[in-house]
Amino acid sequence: MIRALLIFLVCCLSVSYAFAHSNGDAITIDLAQDHVDITTGFNGARLHLFGEVTQNGQVVITVKGPKKDMVVRQKSRIGGVWMNSDSMRFENVPQFYDFAMSDAESDVLDSAKRRALGIGFSYLKFDPKDDDVSEDKRKRFQNALLREKQSEKLFPIEPERIVFLSDHFFRAEFYVPSNVPTGQYMIDTFFIRDGDIVEQKKTSVKVAQIGFAAGVKLFASSYSFAYAILIILIAVVAGWLSNAVRLEN
Amino acid sequence: MQVHLPIAEMSIDAEIIFLVSAFVGFLSGIFGIGGGFLTTPFLIFTGVPPGVAVGTQASQLVASSVSGAIGHWRRANVDLKIGIVMLIGGVLGSFVGIMIFKLLQHLGQIDFAISFLYVLLLSSIGIMMLGESVFSKFFKKKNVRKEFNMLQVPRFINSLPYKMRFPRSKLFISALVPGGIGFVGGILASVLGIGGGFLLVPAMIYILGMPTLLVAGTSLFQIIFTTASATIMHAVFNGTVDMVLAIILIIGGVIGAQIGIACARFVKAQQARLIMAVMVLLVALQLSFNLFIEPREIFTAVLL
Repeated sequence: MIRALLIFLVCCLSVSYAFAHSNGDAITIDLAQDHVDITTGFNGARLHLFGEVTQNGQVVITVKGPKKDMVVRQKSRIGGVWMNSDSMRFENVPQFYDFAMSDAESDVLDSAKRRALGIGFSYLKFDPKDDDVSEDKRKRFQNALLREKQSEKLFPIEPERIVFLSDHFFRAEFYVPSNVPTGQYMIDTFFIRDGDIVEQKKTSVKVAQIGFAAGVKLFASSYSFAYAILIILIAVVAGWLSNAVRLEN
Repeated sequence: MQVHLPIAEMSIDAEIIFLVSAFVGFLSGIFGIGGGFLTTPFLIFTGVPPGVAVGTQASQLVASSVSGAIGHWRRANVDLKIGIVMLIGGVLGSFVGIMIFKLLQHLGQIDFAISFLYVLLLSSIGIMMLGESVFSKFFKKKNVRKEFNMLQVPRFINSLPYKMRFPRSKLFISALVPGGIGFVGGILASVLGIGGGFLLVPAMIYILGMPTLLVAGTSLFQIIFTTASATIMHAVFNGTVDMVLAIILIIGGVIGAQIGIACARFVKAQQARLIMAVMVLLVALQLSFNLFIEPREIFTAVLL
């Protein structure tokens, strides 16, 4: 009985040992930093991601910011002036998007898989809020949304490159601009061989205001009236000081 | 120096914002204007969302109107009673204004409405000022106020209820008139981020018939409260008052105003009015491009 139990225990241990070490992992990744701090002096930041592959294959990394609903509006000339006349809503639009690849874009994955996983700029899809929108309109408004995001530098124009430092060890770098929205950023790393995803690793980065900026934001949202009064007090004191200084001159 | 604005959630060039607000402060020191009509469009132009631009600029106007009103108060040029009636209207107006603002935002027409209203207000006032300063060069100034009062005002205004006596201005007039003028000022403060002095002052002279001496001080006195109330409305209902931006604007404005006041004695009133008129028209022209010229990108995307 005791022997049986011992054998069982040894088996368990060795199995877990094997799992811990060989692990079967084709890819391991880690972030240089798992948070981006937005302070008053914040002027953009870089996200560094390091990883290791144990087999031959390709690597694709996507970074997706928090998802929010957006409305895209189209201007047209009405009575001689330009004003918004048409609009369309999209749900679950990532507020930030970037991706990196180890190889040239085209042949890593087929487009169905890329669309399913949202790998690559032209494979992103946003859900229209209303279903009865023509495909043509959806495309026009989605492209406009992509252009706007690109011009705000929140979506890439070209994919980043994954740089292999040795046969196994790689590095990728993503830039987040100063207007980056706060929230949890999901980073997905795909290990691909022969057009199939062999393994997927997830990690995330928290982008948040800290220090004074965070304090102001929290104060403004939880005690908006007191916040306004404080700003008015600052203004009154400044105005009063300005007058007092003038009198002395 | 790049400074991150916690509410606008963007970085701005602090020096540029500071210099612009100092320049506007300088002009306000010379001409005795608040300058909201210059700063708010500028902020929107640099990419600050309209809500943050309007809400934060309102707080800067508190500082400049406090500074101006104290001076007038010392010289006893404030009609407190009319001022209080006006500010009650102003506070109500700023509340209605924020509702209009939110409605326009919901309809996606806030940028259009701001540009349109600015062009409308600024061009009509610019033309009026320009006309006045050009004509006063050739003709001796007539007593515009008296003519105006006798021709247009009495009938309609005398028939309004809630008459009140305002001894300081020697007026016996319905409280609805100063209250209504304040109300319009409050709407302008909430929707456009301006004190509305350029509209209130003529209205107080021509419609109320107030003594000119008391007009500037009284309008500044009530602008303190309407802009303060607009600040509160934007902070509470819209969450669009940025403290960091406000502090930059306030400091720039205060410093600029000091320099402007020191320079004011070298500027003649007539020249000043001409320069102001040209400037107001230039801003109107610049803003009318937004309305009439086809934009490079006809699509815009915003968060819901």
